[in-house]
Amino acid sequence: TEGPPSCPKGCERCSEYNGCIKCRPKLFIFLERNDIRQIGVCLASCPMGYFGMRNPEGNNRCTQCKIDNCEACFNRNFCTKCKEGLYSHSGRCYVSCPPGQRTANETMEC
Amino acid sequence: SSGDRGAAGRAGCPGRCRCEVDGLLHRVDCSDLGLREIPSNLSVFTSYLDLSMNNLTVLSSGALSNLHFLEELRLAGNDLSFIPRGAFTGLYNLKVLMLQNNQLMSVPVEAFSKLHNLQSLRLDANQISSVPIGCFSGLRSLRHLWLDDNSLTEVPAEALSELPALQAMTLALNHISHVPDHAFSKLGRLVVLHLNNNRIVSMGTNCFHGLHSLETLDLNYNSLVEFPTAVRSLSHLKELGFHSNNIQSIPEHAFTGTPSLITIFFYDNPIQSVGRSAFQHLPELRTLSLNGAADLTEFPDLTGTKSLESLTITGARITSLPSSVCEQLPNLQLLDLSYNQIQTLPSFSGCESVQKIDLHHNEIEELEENTFHGLMSLRALDLSWNRLSSVKPNCFSALPALTKLDLSSNQLSSLPLIGLQSLTHLRLAGNTKLMQLLPRENLPRVRVMELPYAFQCCAFVSCERRGGGGGGGGGGGGGASWEREEAAETSVLSSQADQDWEDFLMEFDDEPKLQHSVHCSPAPGPFRPCLHLL
Amino acid sequence: RPALRAVIKVALLNHEPTGKPITLEGVFVGGSAGYAEGKLMQYHPLSLCNTSEDERQENDFITIVKLEHRVPRCLPLLDKARMALDKGAQAVIFDVSDDANAAAELRDTDSLPRPVVLVEAEHAEELMGLVNKNEEAKVRIDILVEPPRWPHYDV
Repeated sequence: TEGPPSCPKGCERCSEYNGCIKCRPKLFIFLERNDIRQIGVCLASCPMGYFGMRNPEGNNRCTQCKIDNCEACFNRNFCTKCKEGLYSHSGRCYVSCPPGQRTANETMEC
Repeated sequence: SSGDRGAAGRAGCPGRCRCEVDGLLHRVDCSDLGLREIPSNLSVFTSYLDLSMNNLTVLSSGALSNLHFLEELRLAGNDLSFIPRGAFTGLYNLKVLMLQNNQLMSVPVEAFSKLHNLQSLRLDANQISSVPIGCFSGLRSLRHLWLDDNSLTEVPAEALSELPALQAMTLALNHISHVPDHAFSKLGRLVVLHLNNNRIVSMGTNCFHGLHSLETLDLNYNSLVEFPTAVRSLSHLKELGFHSNNIQSIPEHAFTGTPSLITIFFYDNPIQSVGRSAFQHLPELRTLSLNGAADLTEFPDLTGTKSLESLTITGARITSLPSSVCEQLPNLQLLDLSYNQIQTLPSFSGCESVQKIDLHHNEIEELEENTFHGLMSLRALDLSWNRLSSVKPNCFSALPALTKLDLSSNQLSSLPLIGLQSLTHLRLAGNTKLMQLLPRENLPRVRVMELPYAFQCCAFVSCERRGGGGGGGGGGGGGASWEREEAAETSVLSSQADQDWEDFLMEFDDEPKLQHSVHCSPAPGPFRPCLHLL
Repeated sequence: RPALRAVIKVALLNHEPTGKPITLEGVFVGGSAGYAEGKLMQYHPLSLCNTSEDERQENDFITIVKLEHRVPRCLPLLDKARMALDKGAQAVIFDVSDDANAAAELRDTDSLPRPVVLVEAEHAEELMGLVNKNEEAKVRIDILVEPPRWPHYDV
């Protein structure tokens, strides 16, 4: 069931200034920055550079990855997809593999 | 050309979908179109296919079998309750498969068996209560597995044992109550394990056996009653969370096996007692926060835990601090020992990086010359609600960065002002014997003051209003004085008479004026005159 | 402790000057009265929660948050204010028009490093109107000093 007609897609409760303030169950709220404005939108999976954090109250939200050179992450500190040309090791991204680590070029991993 | 946007309906771009061609490969977005089945005329060169937020209830066998180039398939937010064996046949290059937010009751038994290159599998937010043995066999490349927000009542140990390459897994938000020994013994490359928001009451002492690479373990929001001693085998652990459980004590040697710990979150536990050496030899630990450990009477021994930047121990019964506290904690930036029973203070001079010290609600009686001497970074000092009756003259003399000093609710009868030039906030309320006048020149930057008596505020809130307010800047029309009529209109602080726009904007680019006014309480008034009448 | 009132002056940066700047009023929270200036920047109420650390701007901005009683409070307002200031805001403005409890919740705070101001009614509408139109604006906050309203006594 869709939220009130005026609300964005997947949104259960919204307001004029804040956009969505509560998404439908299982969806993630993403706080989209557009210059001065920051509004809530609802997504099935979070955009690049963010991961989805679920919680029992259902206030699931997209949270920023905190890893350098990372495009997608599992949690704040563990990258699942490094930027093009970088090697991943234990959830972090490297220009070249740390000492003692062998390079696997086909999967870009150390 | 790369990134060419294919119009819906063209070859390889099913009706109403949004497509992009990148060289040979097609990125196809058919999300949120109300689709009931997988579009048929997909290009064989489709590398990315988003079918999320539709109404798919069935994935017929072989529906995607010609998409040999497909690397990412998104099926989140549909109504799939069953996935047949051949649903993903032919997807040799699939790396990412998203099935979150569907109606699956069990992990499909055989559907994934040929996905040898799959790296990420999302099964979160379904209703999975069973993970059949062998359901993950064949997934030899799987690195990341999401099973959170389901209905699991136990750790699927056998099924997980077929994932040798797994690096990150979440079983959070399930109904798991016990973690048996050797539950993860084949997951030697696992780096991240989330078990938060379950109902875990007990854990086998060897339950984490085999997790040689684990760096992050999240046990927050469970029902643990005992400290999870099983963590002792995790020598690479960097982040451990077990906040919001029912743990009452942290034993001695709790972290002897985890020397790499950088953060430990254990707030919101009814912790009463802490082994005095529990937090020793944690050279990477940055933050330690312990609240309400009522049985804790001694300051913990932090030998070998030299990187601590923030130490908070509140609501315990500590009576004194070791004189070597700053030698043990050379990098300390925040010290909060409020709500204890501290009577005397050592010298904090060695804590050169400390920026904030909270000692309110203790039993401190006096401050020596060297207590805070030379703390060049100290910005905020809160000693309110103590028994201070004596402060040595040069106690605050070498604190150039101090902007906030709270000595309220003590027993001071005098206050040395040497060294307080940078103060912006000063609180002395509640020191009923402190009647000295505070010369304004000693506190040139103060903005907020709470003093014992109104007459002490007069020096800061000038009773005479010359051109726009004491200390306040700008105009305000003619000179205002006490005798103004009561219904004086509101004068805006910087109410330069209707100044035009350019001046106003230019003012924004000036160096911010040091015009400030002081908010001093209790504010003097007709019944609290400036002249002290005693 | 009587709450101090704030004067808020707003200059639109992308428009030809149209005469006087916009002058609005609010109320300082607790002991946070003071001077601040910066560019207006909206934050969604859910962006000031424990789990959020999203973007950190350069620090010449003033945060404005439209509070709504229907949004579950992930943190006490004082912590939200502190978090906004930690993110680099020079000051925080809370529009409390739709959150009656906000003012009460913030009355007795005093440990805020920089100004936090509550606005409502037409003052809030003016500010949020600018935000809604994504109007780049520079804001200046200072203490509104009112001459004491004492009856005239021959002492």
